[in-house]
Amino acid sequence: MTFRGKAGIYAIAVLLRLVLFFAFPGLPDLLTGRVEISTPVTSFKRLEEGLFLYNHNVWPYDGGVYHQAPLLLPLFSLLPDSTSWPIFTPLLYILIDLLSADALVKIAASGEAGKSRLYTSPRQGKGSTGLVIAAAFLFNPLTIASCVGRTTSVFTNCAILFAIAKAVQGFSFHAMVALSFASYLSMYPVLLLPPLVLLAYDRRAYQKTSVLKFSALNVLVVAGCLSVLLGMSYALTGNSWEFLARTYGIQLTLTDLTPTVGLWWYFFIEMFDSFRSFFLALFWLHLASYVGGLSIRLRNQPLAALAVLLGIFSIFKPYPSISDTSLFLGLFSLYTHLLPLMRYTYVASATLMYASFLGPAFYHLWIYAGSGNANFFYAITLVWSLGQSLLVSDLTFAVLRDEWEVERPEMVGKEAKQI
Amino acid sequence: MSRLLSSALSLRRDPRMLKAPPYLSFACILIGLIWLLVLPLDEYSRRTYISENALLPGQVHTYFGGSEQHVFRAYKEEVAALSGKDTHEINNNIEEILKGFGVKVGRQSYTYGAAGGAYSGENVYGILQAPRGDATEAIVLVCPWKTIGGSENRVGVALSLTLARYFKRWSLWSKDIILLFPPEPKVGTQAWVDAYHDAHDPRHVSPLPLKSGALQGALAIDYPDDHHFSTLHIIYDGVNGQLPNLDLINAVGWVAGNQMGIPSFIQGQYNHQNTYQDRLKTMFRGMLSQGLGNVAGAHSSFIPYHVDAVTLQPWGMGHQDEMAMGRVIEGSFRSLNNLLEHLHQSFFFYLLMSRDRFVSIGTYLPSAMLLAANFTIMAIFLWVKSGQAPKTEGDDSKEKSTTLDTSNTVERDMLLPAAIVAGSHALGMIPLFIFNRLPGDVLPHAFAIFSAISIVLPLIVSHLLTSFYKPTVQQSQLTKSFSLLVLGLSLSTLATLNFSLSFIIGLLASPLSFVQPTKSQPLRWAFASLLSLIAPPTIVYTAAVVAGADVGDLLRDASFGWNVLGVYTPVAIWGVWWPAWTVGTVNVLGFAAA
Repeated sequence: MTFRGKAGIYAIAVLLRLVLFFAFPGLPDLLTGRVEISTPVTSFKRLEEGLFLYNHNVWPYDGGVYHQAPLLLPLFSLLPDSTSWPIFTPLLYILIDLLSADALVKIAASGEAGKSRLYTSPRQGKGSTGLVIAAAFLFNPLTIASCVGRTTSVFTNCAILFAIAKAVQGFSFHAMVALSFASYLSMYPVLLLPPLVLLAYDRRAYQKTSVLKFSALNVLVVAGCLSVLLGMSYALTGNSWEFLARTYGIQLTLTDLTPTVGLWWYFFIEMFDSFRSFFLALFWLHLASYVGGLSIRLRNQPLAALAVLLGIFSIFKPYPSISDTSLFLGLFSLYTHLLPLMRYTYVASATLMYASFLGPAFYHLWIYAGSGNANFFYAITLVWSLGQSLLVSDLTFAVLRDEWEVERPEMVGKEAKQI
Repeated sequence: MSRLLSSALSLRRDPRMLKAPPYLSFACILIGLIWLLVLPLDEYSRRTYISENALLPGQVHTYFGGSEQHVFRAYKEEVAALSGKDTHEINNNIEEILKGFGVKVGRQSYTYGAAGGAYSGENVYGILQAPRGDATEAIVLVCPWKTIGGSENRVGVALSLTLARYFKRWSLWSKDIILLFPPEPKVGTQAWVDAYHDAHDPRHVSPLPLKSGALQGALAIDYPDDHHFSTLHIIYDGVNGQLPNLDLINAVGWVAGNQMGIPSFIQGQYNHQNTYQDRLKTMFRGMLSQGLGNVAGAHSSFIPYHVDAVTLQPWGMGHQDEMAMGRVIEGSFRSLNNLLEHLHQSFFFYLLMSRDRFVSIGTYLPSAMLLAANFTIMAIFLWVKSGQAPKTEGDDSKEKSTTLDTSNTVERDMLLPAAIVAGSHALGMIPLFIFNRLPGDVLPHAFAIFSAISIVLPLIVSHLLTSFYKPTVQQSQLTKSFSLLVLGLSLSTLATLNFSLSFIIGLLASPLSFVQPTKSQPLRWAFASLLSLIAPPTIVYTAAVVAGADVGDLLRDASFGWNVLGVYTPVAIWGVWWPAWTVGTVNVLGFAAA
């Protein structure tokens, strides 16, 4: 991988985004308004509202529109006024995208996807190069759309990728700090802690510390980092803990029922109030339950566990958007050496493409034309989730099959039947 | 269950399974077509009915008539005196008349540019405030100065003024009544509706000085000639093939037919004998008009804003006079006045076979979806085929295919196919741009040049391909697979928005599923010439000739539709169909045969 190639890809990616931002002045606001891109907890429009209140010395959570982390406010108010200097916000978002791509390149360069401490894939080295992976991430329409739509989940995605990149490089402290930032911004990344700790441990195994001690230390780092961040937020929002209920509380209780590409909103619109808390607990339990199982089952390949978990989160988390899918697809492209083992890649990608065409059409029929209803859009979000779950389960299958073929060489190339 | 699964899995490995998709695909097209043809039968279509109970059509006595006839005659004289005057003067007079009986009046000017021409004019409208309402809802009576046919809408305007004066005296209105007099049926209404919903471009359209509440429905009158009529033509197609709620058509038809005894008809099928042929013809006419997506009358522009609207056009010679027409409008307005909420009960997606027979979306959609599915089936089939290792020996192929496994798939080279498909879709932007930006008088020349290029382009691309890349069979299959996949998913998306357009394009593009590179050179050229017969430019030209119009006029209309009304039919033609056709032709000419 030459620097020239990498720089070329980054330059084209930056240029493409700048063209989209400035040659089509209506596009950023159009994408910002799309429910597929902006969720109640990541929308740039809501951020602007919070920012306005914050800059006018009003408590930003007044008005019930802004549900994002308080520390985003000083970050964005540091940027020059967006009406007179419209260049800075796009530049910040483009920079974040590049950092994410760079983190992916580092993860790819470590070769962790093909060869971890405990496992070496027979297909090691057949995967794509870091350059291709970065290009696949940067030129993925979903990544571009979330960048131009300026959703704040790109910060979370960048922090997650950065955490993984640091973990595979052996810098567990940096990884934990990055994960704390991601968790602080979006809460759900805290569930990635167990596989990430395992990944960092595997990459530093030469230090001969025990897993338990290592984990305890890292959990302490995350806890400490999170308490500092939350303490700063406490001070920032007028010495009150009320912001917790307005940010993480919204995600936990799903009080904002704006449609998203996920599965929660419709379910909780239909729900009778008396069952609400039960199903909320159940949905969260379902989301969290994958962490333990996958960390144990994929103990040999913690990076694969992280990739699969991110795929699952992008389907089942309370406010998912296409930005979460782009993160999963970024990690998915690390596993191209397993493509021959996957069975439904074509069907899954065709399903995703169908859903991404039909989704906006059905949303239009529901909201603008008035000739459809909410069921139209919900049906498509189901298809979208189906496509993603096909991809996630196919990736899991391929990873496990790869391991299985090492354990039982006589079965290489034979049909595997599910019993 | 597990046995069922494993037998299904072994069926997947059956070599016969890999032969089935082309037949399946053909069956999809055939069934899709037959599906559409059986729709007019009694078994598949239903009688229309009124779904919204609040409408209560024909339940009230209408009082328009009697002395109103004298008022009407007076207004007719005034309107006749305005004949041939310019819009400003006409609007001055209409404004004076409206103000004369106490209606608030607003005016709005607009200028649009399309196909090098400028469309400008001035709307005048009055708002009759409801005595029992709170100005949160309104119904609109549209009366363009020019009819759809282009003549002066004299009787219509006089009748609207008479009705306005008459409505003003009644105290029963719970919704405001807006009277809109645009200078002509297409541009003026579009400008007015855009501005009413604050969706106008302030550079071209001025805002409305006066507004009322949410529009609940609209009726347009198209009544040029001063003679007695026999039947009522209900025009209902909206922009981009959107349709008004079926309840509105039914209610108006019910008031006309059952209360006033005036039969009504649709889609210009004056002599509808309720036979299979007539129903089919009506349905096809409806589909054609829906597929083109252009404006059908002054009501069309309302429908994208979710305001249900129809145009009423008196037809034929008979004994019904203007007062009868007025009573139909009065009855319909009384029905709309009853509405407690927006029309939502009945269907928004339907095909009408006659005024009182229809099929709803659930019944007709499968035909377009089957057509779209045929492309997807072929795309998946070609993908699977492209992944199989080419047979080395013919004899052991049978044994091999039974133990076909995952490691047997060969690597696919997807870069060139993806580049060809993406490139041709990018090229589709060029015709889209030139046909919507060029001035009207160069459009026919541009079309001729473009058609020539469109025919030559596949030849050049395939020549370049064969001389530089030596593309493999697998690349040919993948190119076709990707192209058909995009076509299939675009068409199935389109089918939910504009069924007819999707069906028409799907049918015209269906040969693309089956043409493939062959070893024999004559057959290859036969395929190519067959494809050039169904090329989008050829079809557009043929359509213009069959319709008896000039290609230039057709393109000018399309450019007008795109620039002023936001019709997206050109995107479907140049951005979906034409690229698929180009890739199909390149595939036949430039790739090696299997």
